Amino acid sequence: MTAAVYSSRPLPLFDKYGGIKTLRHVIMEFYDRVLDSDVIGHFFEDTDMVRLIDHQVKFFTMVLGGPSDFSDERLARAHAFLRLNHDQFDEAVTLLIITLEEANFAPEDRDSVITAIEARRGIIVT
Amino acid sequence: MFPENISARLLKSIGVGVCLVEADNGIIVFCNASFMNWFDAAERDMLLLDAVPDLAAEDIARAIDGAAIEVKTKIKRRTLIIELSAYPADFDGRKLIVFECQNVSRLRETEAMIDSYATMVDRRTRDLEREKTQVEKLLLNIMPRTVYEEYMTFGSVAPRLFEPVSVLMLDFVGFTQMAAAADPTVTVAELNDIFTAFDRIGELYGCERIKTVGDCYIAVTGLPHPNPDHAVSTAKCASKMIRYLQRRNSTHQHEWRARIGIASGSVVGSVVGVQKYIYDVFGPAVNLAARLQALSEPMEITVSDTVSSELIDDFAMTRRRTESIRGFGEREVCCLEKHPDTKQITRPQVRGNFGLTKRDALPVANRGTSGVTTFSV
Repeated sequence: MTAAVYSSRPLPLFDKYGGIKTLRHVIMEFYDRVLDSDVIGHFFEDTDMVRLIDHQVKFFTMVLGGPSDFSDERLARAHAFLRLNHDQFDEAVTLLIITLEEANFAPEDRDSVITAIEARRGIIVT
Repeated sequence: MFPENISARLLKSIGVGVCLVEADNGIIVFCNASFMNWFDAAERDMLLLDAVPDLAAEDIARAIDGAAIEVKTKIKRRTLIIELSAYPADFDGRKLIVFECQNVSRLRETEAMIDSYATMVDRRTRDLEREKTQVEKLLLNIMPRTVYEEYMTFGSVAPRLFEPVSVLMLDFVGFTQMAAAADPTVTVAELNDIFTAFDRIGELYGCERIKTVGDCYIAVTGLPHPNPDHAVSTAKCASKMIRYLQRRNSTHQHEWRARIGIASGSVVGSVVGVQKYIYDVFGPAVNLAARLQALSEPMEITVSDTVSSELIDDFAMTRRRTESIRGFGEREVCCLEKHPDTKQITRPQVRGNFGLTKRDALPVANRGTSGVTTFSV
């Protein structure tokens, strides 16, 4: 007569892909691509990198199921001044897909990240 | 000269930015490709301060003193952070300053990332600690600390025999009717207050609540730590519970009357269940305490013969008799003499007894045809 608790919850992508180590690589690569982009690069020309990184770490950690709570309100506030349109959002998504591919994310994991970001399109695009 | 030429070529090709400046006037005499890539205005014979607008004259003095100076420069859309170190040098009698520059942008970004992540993790750790405390409090409500610790260490709890212990079983007279007659939320809130008070009384006597089932309160003394005075402690605890109810009844609208049974013996304690688990005790003492509780008059404490023999020095006994108890046969039982205070306390006026008289109400457990309450635990 014993009692035990077992967890069958799948590992979050954040842990599956090596936590902050992989996230660091993804964020760095993604922003290099974003800065080089003719469609959206200009948005980040004079951005405070420390603040931007802080947002990105929290946002991507949340999207990957890591230890972060990044509210939709905060996401909306962070992007409101950019006044992004759908083409610019699409460009960011495309660059992220390339970045995740290069970071060896499995197609289904890549899709789940993009799905999570697409779900917030209405918040980011104004 | 060959060695100087190869040095110059090396300086041009390395990733570190190098700039040689006249010490007395700050004019650039040489800068390599990396330096010019970061500071595109830089060229020979121009002032270093003009080539690096973010650099101040006092920064140069600080750099010569050994400080690492950081300046920002923009290449296309990216703002780079360049760290400058300065070293005085002497070349054929000319006083020069060698500036060594490193691109530390990635390093600073990584530091910012780690800071951000660390803040996030700290916050999450605090949240988890808070949740852990809540979970611990909840689990400690349903199992003793030693059992909880075993559960947390091994993920399971092995059944354990405790002997001897005393089991206290308390049940209220007519609770079901009370709940039906009055606002059930009020009744349950009062029950909660009373059980909380019982828990505190139990703490004083080492009589640990095992569980409550509806209005039935089950506690054990001598578990998980042995207590040679388990019978006396349990009787004192039960006596205090009755006195608490007496005092409470004298000042509250609703009257709560309990029956208590106490039995001694061995019990097995274990966590039962996997998803919805509860710590419970099993054994003849538990069943006997339930039967004795049913034999009690309201506000009376009935004890078994084994318990009464332990109480001889501390309690006066009354109503000593032999009862036929289902599952136990003929057993000698008796009741604790009521405390003098208990006898004196009378209700100033009856403000509400939910319309029940003394023996109207059945306890929640089923009363068998023999007149002995059957109680399954």
